[in-house]
Amino acid sequence: MTIGEKFTSAFIAENRWQLYLKGLGITIEIAFFAAILGLILGTVLALMKLSTHRNGKPGVMHYIATAYVDIIRGTPSVLQLLIMWFIVMKSSNNGVLVASLSFGLNSAAYVSEIVRAGILAVDKGQMEAGRSLGLTKGMTMRYIVLPQAMKNIIPPMGNEFITLLKETAIVGYVSLNDLTRAANLIQSRTYEAFMPLIGAAVIYFVVIKALTLVLGVVERRLRRSDNR
Amino acid sequence: MKKLLALVLTGVLGVSVLTACGSSSSAPSAAAETASTEAAAASTETASASGSALDKDTLIIGTNAAFPPFEYAGDDGTPAGFDIDLINAIGEKLGKKVEVKDMEFDSLVASIGNKIDIAIAGMTVTEERQKMVDFSDPYYEAVQNVIVVNGSEIASADDLKNKKIGVQLGTTGDFIASDIEGSEVSQYNKAVDAVNDLLNGRVDCVIIDANPAQEFVSQHAEELTALEGTQFGFETENYAIAMPKGDAALVEAVNQALKELKEDGTFDKLVAENITGE
Repeated sequence: MTIGEKFTSAFIAENRWQLYLKGLGITIEIAFFAAILGLILGTVLALMKLSTHRNGKPGVMHYIATAYVDIIRGTPSVLQLLIMWFIVMKSSNNGVLVASLSFGLNSAAYVSEIVRAGILAVDKGQMEAGRSLGLTKGMTMRYIVLPQAMKNIIPPMGNEFITLLKETAIVGYVSLNDLTRAANLIQSRTYEAFMPLIGAAVIYFVVIKALTLVLGVVERRLRRSDNR
Repeated sequence: MKKLLALVLTGVLGVSVLTACGSSSSAPSAAAETASTEAAAASTETASASGSALDKDTLIIGTNAAFPPFEYAGDDGTPAGFDIDLINAIGEKLGKKVEVKDMEFDSLVASIGNKIDIAIAGMTVTEERQKMVDFSDPYYEAVQNVIVVNGSEIASADDLKNKKIGVQLGTTGDFIASDIEGSEVSQYNKAVDAVNDLLNGRVDCVIIDANPAQEFVSQHAEELTALEGTQFGFETENYAIAMPKGDAALVEAVNQALKELKEDGTFDKLVAENITGE
């Protein structure tokens, strides 16, 4: 087969380009919902992990969050996905939902560590100042510490989103036709590996490059007030 | 809190912008085309230089050990089954060592000639595959079966329309299911995953070769039934051994070995041991 024919059979014949597009749609859908879930749950987990009793000792919330993060980080995400699909949500037919949930719960563990690190990086004096001005602990956290922590959080969070987007490539295990699986599928029809695999890689790259650019803009705007 | 909200919204916006970016499939394809020129040039070179796989002492065999009784993970974890026994017997006839590699079924054909020398995996001879590889003489006849849950209404070709069908990626069942009108096909890496999802109610039926179908059904006899493909109008197919395109010497040697094994009764013995279970 000439290169032109290989190209045609991998992308154009039988409207195969639609498979990549649909696959990309699924990839982004899963990554998007997982990112939202991860962001929300991750922030909650970080606050739980930082929570203390009045006497300054870590409370039961801290241990729950720590156990959760340990378990999630201690098992491969593909296994978590399989467990979610074949065991936990056995009766659900909605593959995207199951995958989003699985990746969201996974991402939350990593996000929580990012958020925690971001909060701890804010100087202790900020909390003390807030408290001495009469704000409650919660108010100081919300109005003084978290906004500053946000700047520390954005860069590693971008990293996490990118990892998340690429990690969804394993959903083929549960018969979801994401972008990677679309490439597999076409390879199984044309028996030609090069075009579909490189094509999918290029699509991933373009999407992630675009995501990086967006994150760069966000980061720059947050730094606008910095004097350095 | 407002900033957090703003951040989430930015994320939402970002992702939706990306969706639009992704649709420009012409950009990646153009890049892929340029890149492929060099790679293709390189691959033709290796193909012409390598000669016959017969020159080697060890033949690398590819299979997909998820297709009982033809191949499955044996007690020690390495592939076992009819195809494995058969290729070992052929290797003996050819005086070659045989090394079996377990891989995904859908990547077998693309791996022949580079990662592996021969693929034996209950593979049906199809025109599409023949464009990429050469096949030995057929060694087994099979037909696809349809696995359904007991009491299912599915009984004829018409009943398969607009159904959710589970298959293994890249198998004959996959090709058949994808051609059925209105079908929603779920492709699994392993047939057993498709059968699991049939039990879970996620698909309405599973299309897979007769022998593995019966194997799976025998494990869930109270819940599942395997229906003969002939009642759905599926054609009989031939399994054959796949080899690199143009390696006539290897094809001839394998065919000769296959013929001898059939003549001296070894072949029938392997069938009895592995498939008919006598």
